[in-house]
Amino acid sequence: MKQVVVHPERCVGCMQCMLACATAHSKTLHLFTAVREDPLPKPRIHVGAGIHGEGFPNRCRHCDPAPCMLACLPGAISRIPETNTVVIDPDTCINCASCAMACPFGVIRYHGDAAAPPGKAVAVKCDNCTARQKKGMVPACVEVCKSGALTFEEPASALGRKTREVARSVSRDAGGEPIAPGFALLNAVKRSQIEMEKR
Amino acid sequence: MLKDAEKRTVTEDGRLMLEKAEKDRIETVWDRYAAQTPQCGYCEMGLSCRICNMGPCRIDPFGEGPRQGVCGADADIIVARNLGRMVAAGAAAHSDHGRDLVEVLAAVAEGKAPGYGIADPDKLKRVAAEYGIETEGKPPHAVAGALADAMMGDFGSRRKELSMVRRAPAKRRELWRKTGIMPRGIDRETSEMMHRTHMGVDNGWQSLLLHALRNALSDGWGGSMIATEVSDILFGTPKPSANTVNVGVLKADQVNIIVHGHNPVVSEMLLQACQSPDIIDLAKAKGAAGINLAGLCCTGNELLMRHGIPMAGNHLMTELVIATGAVDMMLVDYQCIMPSLGKTASCYHTLMISTSDKARFPGMTHREFHPENARDLARDLVKEAVENFGRRGRVYIPVEPVPSLGGFSVEAILGALGGTPDPLLDAVKDGRIRGAAGVVGCNNPKIKHDYGHITLTRQLIENDILVLDTGCAAIANAKAGFKVAEAAEYAGPGLKAVCSALGIPPVLHMGSCVDNVRILLLASALADSLGCDISDLPVAGSAPEWYSEKAVSIGAYFVASGVYTVLGPMPPITGSMNVVKLLTEGLNDVVGAGFAVEPDPEKAGILIRRHIESKRKQLGLDARSV
Repeated sequence: MKQVVVHPERCVGCMQCMLACATAHSKTLHLFTAVREDPLPKPRIHVGAGIHGEGFPNRCRHCDPAPCMLACLPGAISRIPETNTVVIDPDTCINCASCAMACPFGVIRYHGDAAAPPGKAVAVKCDNCTARQKKGMVPACVEVCKSGALTFEEPASALGRKTREVARSVSRDAGGEPIAPGFALLNAVKRSQIEMEKR
Repeated sequence: MLKDAEKRTVTEDGRLMLEKAEKDRIETVWDRYAAQTPQCGYCEMGLSCRICNMGPCRIDPFGEGPRQGVCGADADIIVARNLGRMVAAGAAAHSDHGRDLVEVLAAVAEGKAPGYGIADPDKLKRVAAEYGIETEGKPPHAVAGALADAMMGDFGSRRKELSMVRRAPAKRRELWRKTGIMPRGIDRETSEMMHRTHMGVDNGWQSLLLHALRNALSDGWGGSMIATEVSDILFGTPKPSANTVNVGVLKADQVNIIVHGHNPVVSEMLLQACQSPDIIDLAKAKGAAGINLAGLCCTGNELLMRHGIPMAGNHLMTELVIATGAVDMMLVDYQCIMPSLGKTASCYHTLMISTSDKARFPGMTHREFHPENARDLARDLVKEAVENFGRRGRVYIPVEPVPSLGGFSVEAILGALGGTPDPLLDAVKDGRIRGAAGVVGCNNPKIKHDYGHITLTRQLIENDILVLDTGCAAIANAKAGFKVAEAAEYAGPGLKAVCSALGIPPVLHMGSCVDNVRILLLASALADSLGCDISDLPVAGSAPEWYSEKAVSIGAYFVASGVYTVLGPMPPITGSMNVVKLLTEGLNDVVGAGFAVEPDPEKAGILIRRHIESKRKQLGLDARSV
């Protein structure tokens, strides 16, 4: 079944996925109106900066077995087998932070949410855009990603592609061609800037 | 100790002030930079386009997502358009600054600018003569009026060429004509760039970049040159004079007033007010030992060049200077003034005053200066600063100031050489001096504060390359102690001998960022003496820590004038390797010079040395291998 696959080497750090994610989990579902809602919708995918300032989209892996689900005493966390999605029920959640402590990737946050009872902070994380998928749409982060860092596909096909890329890279002379020379050049410059801080 | 302070700056005062700011919970430019990371790769690569409302558009650098904007523009077109608009903005900023000075010159001519005058009537005559204005027997005010009028004509020119391009070597002008990049009018080229980059106009990335060069030339040989020349006419042509630099120039027992920005129109009046005996008496009555006027950024450089006013710091130091708690008033005009300053000042007693009709900042009081009211308003404001002295809290001034020598206008340099560039040329020819390099430009939190400027400058002078600097780079080098006669010790044997003989430092402070034109003029004088073009000279330019659009324009007019230029931070162009190739290689065939990008100043120094030695070889002079 199709999953959101992250290709960190293609992330340009534009954070469009964060905006789209917050909008997809708002009441009004439109960016211009979502920014005026209360509680303010927040993203469930977070773009962090690597040691060379490069972007990395960090999102729920929907692990199996899921440490968050095992840690949840009230039983608010469950799995939707059809989409292999780990979800949190905001009505059952007691805001104890056990799931966030158990999560190795730091993708669970606590705040008010459009789906939660008013005034209640709950554990919030990626739900694979289940609501959008039911309407036949792809997850919002994937839809807006223009650089191909987030794709919605069969993991096997993504891995197959990766295998072919790796195979090609080892069959070439040392180094090989970067997939986007300008992006590689920009990153080389940024790396150089960061290296200088250490002097 | 703040763990990041040493990563952020190489300066001692910067490090200590960063620690103080951390204690005071003052947010700085570095904190805001960290909060912005990762920065958007589309924008960093120049691949996002917000020019029209069919967009915003972005191009996938990996070639799988969109490869064209809604209008059909590809990566080459979008990158070239964005870069063109950066040049236009930079040229507009410099040129509008120049226009403000021409307006003061016109007001002086009409007798409507009390306090202002003609400080250098000889220069007025010389420049007026270049504009074809009859000066014999005419009073200076009449000449000033005619010159202001003629210069205004350059802004909205209907002619084929700007007036001051006649100062460029004949070969260079011929090249500009042949290539079609001869600047015609100052406003015209910027206006045309905005037109060309409108949707559906110029979609040739090569022709867009060529126009960017013409636009930049209208700044270098137009707006900026007018700004420098008129400032000299109104306030005096700089002569070498001593000054002091770093946060230590603030005085615990005096009223400290800081001027920050770029335009000397306000700061010159302020200096007069600070020197008037009745206001000094008032300060003494309030318990202060005197009034201390110090500068930041280029407004500071303007006063430093002409009056030896002390300099508190450069761009990245502006928040930290306020954090001393010793600044009783800061006056800003325009350009490079961080909108954060009002908020920083709100944590201390500092009064923040904005002075320009075209620049507003949150948390500042707006007191607008015009030629008619400037003298009186300056007096009022200095009195308010004096009153504010008593409201000071605890003060932290952690370092002693460093002495430096400034004021090296072209006139001053030629004067020191005995009136002609020949002694300098002789030293270049016999190899004592290998060549000259301009180290200019801003600070950028992407590069450790002042590390780029200082490291590059040190390497160049060690290798007998004379360094000419301006702007924030000049302040960095002064703080590093490169600008006293004794700094000749840091230079290689040849440069050291020349500097010692002339009693000058190996790094010459040529002024503010509009004063980069002084470097152009010096290069032209050298080229004329040798009967060659600027691109034949063993000279180079560099902006190791640049951030501003003005720096893009400066870099482009240096290159278009024939000066090889090395940039530290990468401009937003890597989305198009065609544009990168043209700027770094292709331009050599067009204007005899090109850009290089090298954030590591050690490596940038090697690039510059290699370039200078290759030019020496072409001139038939001895050349070292680098």
